[in-house]
Amino acid sequence: MNSNDPRSTQNGSIARPEERGRQEPTDVGDLARTTRTPLEAILSRSSYDVIVCGAGHAGCEAALAAARMGARTLLLTGNLDTIAQMSCNPAIGGQAKGHIVREVDALGGEMAVNTDFTAIQFRLLNRSKGLAVQAPRAQCDKKAYQFRMKQTLEMQPNLHVFQAEVTGLILRDGAVAGVETNLGCAFKGKTVILTTGTFLKGIMFVGDATVEGGRMGDFAAKRLSKSLLDSGIQLERLKTGTPARILGRSIDFSVCEEQKSDSEPTLFAFYDTREEMFHVEQLGENRVGWGPNTRSTSCWMTYTNDQTEAVIQANLRRSAMYGGKIEGVGPRYCPSIEDKIVRFSDKERHRLFLEPEGIHTDEWYINGLSTSMPMEVQEAIIRTIPGLEQAIITRPAYAVEYDYAPPTQLQPSLESKSIGGLFCAGQINGTSGYEEAACQGLVAGVNAAAKCLGLSELVIGREEAYTGVLIDDLVTKGTQEPYRMFTSRAEYRLLLNHNSAELRLIDKAAQYNLLPEARVTAIRQKKAAIEHWVSRFEGTGLDARGTLADALRRNLQVELPYAFQALSGAIREEVLYRVLYRGYLEKDFAHIAKMKAIDAVRIPSDFNYETLKGLRNESLQKLKKIRPQTLGQASRISGINPADVSVLLVYLRK
Amino acid sequence: MQFGVATSILQQPPLFYAFEWPRWALCIVLRTMKNDGKERMPYDHPGASFCALSTPPGESAIGVIRANGPLAEALAVSLAKVPYPTPRHAYFCDYVAVDGKVLDVIILTYFEAGKSYTGDALVELACHGNPLILQKVLEDLFKRGFRLAEPGEFTRTAFLNGKMDLCQAEAVAELIHARSEKALHIAERQLKGGISAHYHSILDALMAAIAHLEAYIDFPEEDLPSEDAQGPLRDIAFCLSKVKKMLATRHYSALLHEGVKTVIFGAPNAGKSSLLNAFLGEDRALVSPEPGTTRDFLAERILVGPHALRIIDTAGLHTPTSKIERCGIEKTFLKIDEADLCLFVVDATRPYPAFDAALWAALAHKHVLLVLNKTDLMPPPYPTAAPWNALPCLPISAKTGDGIDALKRAILDAVEAEDLSEDEDLIICIRHARALEQAETALADAFAKLKDGAPVELAVCDLRFALDCIGGILGKVDNEVILGLIFSKFCIGK
Repeated sequence: MNSNDPRSTQNGSIARPEERGRQEPTDVGDLARTTRTPLEAILSRSSYDVIVCGAGHAGCEAALAAARMGARTLLLTGNLDTIAQMSCNPAIGGQAKGHIVREVDALGGEMAVNTDFTAIQFRLLNRSKGLAVQAPRAQCDKKAYQFRMKQTLEMQPNLHVFQAEVTGLILRDGAVAGVETNLGCAFKGKTVILTTGTFLKGIMFVGDATVEGGRMGDFAAKRLSKSLLDSGIQLERLKTGTPARILGRSIDFSVCEEQKSDSEPTLFAFYDTREEMFHVEQLGENRVGWGPNTRSTSCWMTYTNDQTEAVIQANLRRSAMYGGKIEGVGPRYCPSIEDKIVRFSDKERHRLFLEPEGIHTDEWYINGLSTSMPMEVQEAIIRTIPGLEQAIITRPAYAVEYDYAPPTQLQPSLESKSIGGLFCAGQINGTSGYEEAACQGLVAGVNAAAKCLGLSELVIGREEAYTGVLIDDLVTKGTQEPYRMFTSRAEYRLLLNHNSAELRLIDKAAQYNLLPEARVTAIRQKKAAIEHWVSRFEGTGLDARGTLADALRRNLQVELPYAFQALSGAIREEVLYRVLYRGYLEKDFAHIAKMKAIDAVRIPSDFNYETLKGLRNESLQKLKKIRPQTLGQASRISGINPADVSVLLVYLRK
Repeated sequence: MQFGVATSILQQPPLFYAFEWPRWALCIVLRTMKNDGKERMPYDHPGASFCALSTPPGESAIGVIRANGPLAEALAVSLAKVPYPTPRHAYFCDYVAVDGKVLDVIILTYFEAGKSYTGDALVELACHGNPLILQKVLEDLFKRGFRLAEPGEFTRTAFLNGKMDLCQAEAVAELIHARSEKALHIAERQLKGGISAHYHSILDALMAAIAHLEAYIDFPEEDLPSEDAQGPLRDIAFCLSKVKKMLATRHYSALLHEGVKTVIFGAPNAGKSSLLNAFLGEDRALVSPEPGTTRDFLAERILVGPHALRIIDTAGLHTPTSKIERCGIEKTFLKIDEADLCLFVVDATRPYPAFDAALWAALAHKHVLLVLNKTDLMPPPYPTAAPWNALPCLPISAKTGDGIDALKRAILDAVEAEDLSEDEDLIICIRHARALEQAETALADAFAKLKDGAPVELAVCDLRFALDCIGGILGKVDNEVILGLIFSKFCIGK
């Protein structure tokens, strides 16, 4: 890690607005009349390596990763007070998402630590099932989460955080050269990472009322949308939504069921390989947050009823979604309450979770009640729900529609195929979720920095991490709805248990210098210990009962060596997992070995598919559109069959 | 889900050097892969070795099966019974299956890696051109770890191993394309009609089971009905029974190759052998007026309509006088027991024979036609049914050939009235059988796991494998379809 004083490198690098320059129409919210600097003038100034546009969950990880790798990084956000805001529910993790957060930690990201130190409830999901599908989840204090992340960014060497709305890209020779802002100043950078969230032409719906913006109270990035279209980037619309917030003092908790925190928290970050609880570079500061699991609160459950259904049915046409106002596609796994009532009319009641937004506020989030009904209908709906009869609503539920850039326009490094140096991460790629955004931001940040530093690109395999599955799915198949990660999307699910994230990704983390050296060493030692014990169990005979490992697999009572029992829980758990699941893991390894062979065959980016004989037209069109980088990626495009892959292979070997 | 679908594309050894997975796994895999050039590989990674019939299917003098890949040398060693088979040398040997049965006498030629058509180690087995034998040999090769080659795979492997001129690339590509089109066409033809409905019903039940289990894995936070394996267990049981039923039609396909087993029996000198000869139109069976001429069984194949009949002539049934005859008669009973169809030949000029109860018991569940022979010696009218039960009665003269056509029609009706004919659309090809066998094992594993309360994600792992197997027949099943099922079945979402 570079430990230079951050202030020494960052001052004076903001391009000042030039006096000369065209007048641009001003948006509401602009600080000054916009003047634009001639391109040449900007480019002659010193520039950044990486410019990150947006400081949400993707943007924060992107900026931190790039800066930690040693790239001179600028993070631009329209509002410094909404850094790392959880626009929807106040929780991090959950099934598959919790896995991703642990992978973010394994790659030196901040989300895991930030969650651990601002969480107010920890729960391990799927406790009754096997290790591979267990996942940690935490409720966070929203404001504490934001403050801590903001502070982390502020203290990060090589990183400059600045408040400005990005209004356009500056291109030169088909590659990105910088960005323009609403302040009339432009910034030049070798690479640009777009993490626009729902802000690109964002429109919010509360029944008939529509408000422009990416989030209640925020602006909409309209000019950037146009700039992207002008640059040849294709944009489409997606939709998502969030429920109302209410005051805790108006909730009758006595009629709700309590959902308590686990007594033992499952933390997201790996502390057994860390020397200190904090990242080294953050030592000695007066940090926001608290010790993990020191502040514990509960969530509460309540249910909709017949009355709720009646109110919704009577007002269905007033919903923005059912009224036909919204053209964007919403996620199947995140339906509005009106959608649930219509599609699952036989279901008597729908469960709602009341989640605290934090301990610094009395606002509560009603998980399960997202809607785009008009305000008075929302109020009527909430009043029908046991415990919420007297609820005081502080913020309405709304649906938001926004532009995204179909991610098949990206390479597996998350760099645009058409514009060199332009990276995209998060909701602009059609995903949903803080965790999905964070892992993409991290990869985009690493790759942008790698490009500037002359390193090879970071591509994580489907067999290595959910992050790899996510990005491969995005760039290979694209998405029609906001993409959320599920464990069932990973073909090697059993290899991707959350405990092993660090072990799976250590080589990549070390290669890109994403972790302090001491931690790399500690992880390597942990890995060696696990491998040692696995081979020892497989090799230790137990006379007639086979090896110790066989006995474990047959669920026999065996005495495990004392030295083993004295090891840390993380090591013991992983050793037992590998022993017990050996048959399945081996099958996966054999499969992976075969996939590696075709993944190793690279397809030149200028490969001319038109010259191929023997390819079906449908396949030809798909290959031309996706332009896979490897034969393996080509084989995963939906509709590409093994014969097409064979034909391709023959030509690639020619 | 894409398990195993696109993976059998390269037959190169796996790139373990580039393997970034934990060393313990590497050790385990390498231990099974150890190959110092001389030591036989006990086990290879699945799918590296493949085989196929290289001559056109159907009856022919010789059928050549080629077996390619790392397992080929071990195969040559095992069949030719030599420790180091001489390359490009023809061995005349028995084909001894893994279960010890001799399937055929073959000529085996072994080509070492680097000097074969494909460039891999290759064995050519020249068998007799009987489709049944060839199928059995292929099935045995599967048991030995070979898999069925994909269309054009031999040629493709040859190309990839540098055994072909580079300028042939386009020709190879076109060949692969054409072959896969043809394979597709064949598969489509096969999937037309009832059989595809059977596959789809398996697929639907399987996807329902997976979607159900996945919902509880991926959405532990949702308000789903309480977790219950009964539904998926029912679905899996349904798939299993369906797969088993389809696999059972392998027997029918053998029946088609081998012929419907038809046993001719009756009293001595009723003209059973004459009837066989009348069918065949030649004096194949030894005929004499002496009772008990036929002591051994004579088997012949004839075609009745589209069906092949394997006709077995038996010794006459009567109270035996010698030990040999008694032995012959007991064997006749056995043959009747195995028969798909029985022809009971009765001499029209004599009284109906009185057999003991054991015979009627043996015939109880059999398809029996009563053939009234020697009508040339007796004028009509003939009885239309046997006096002791309502068996159809067919008057013929084996000597003049009268009534043989009517008998053949009756046989045809009887064969088609069998299950065989009704389920004909079920008959599966060898490639499908292979996929179904793998699916069957995986389904059974998943069923046992669910029942025993083992981790559900392991059961899903097996089910996903089964899905890939069935998907290999019907086409890849995209994971989106399963997600779609989950979201349509369960109300999921915050």
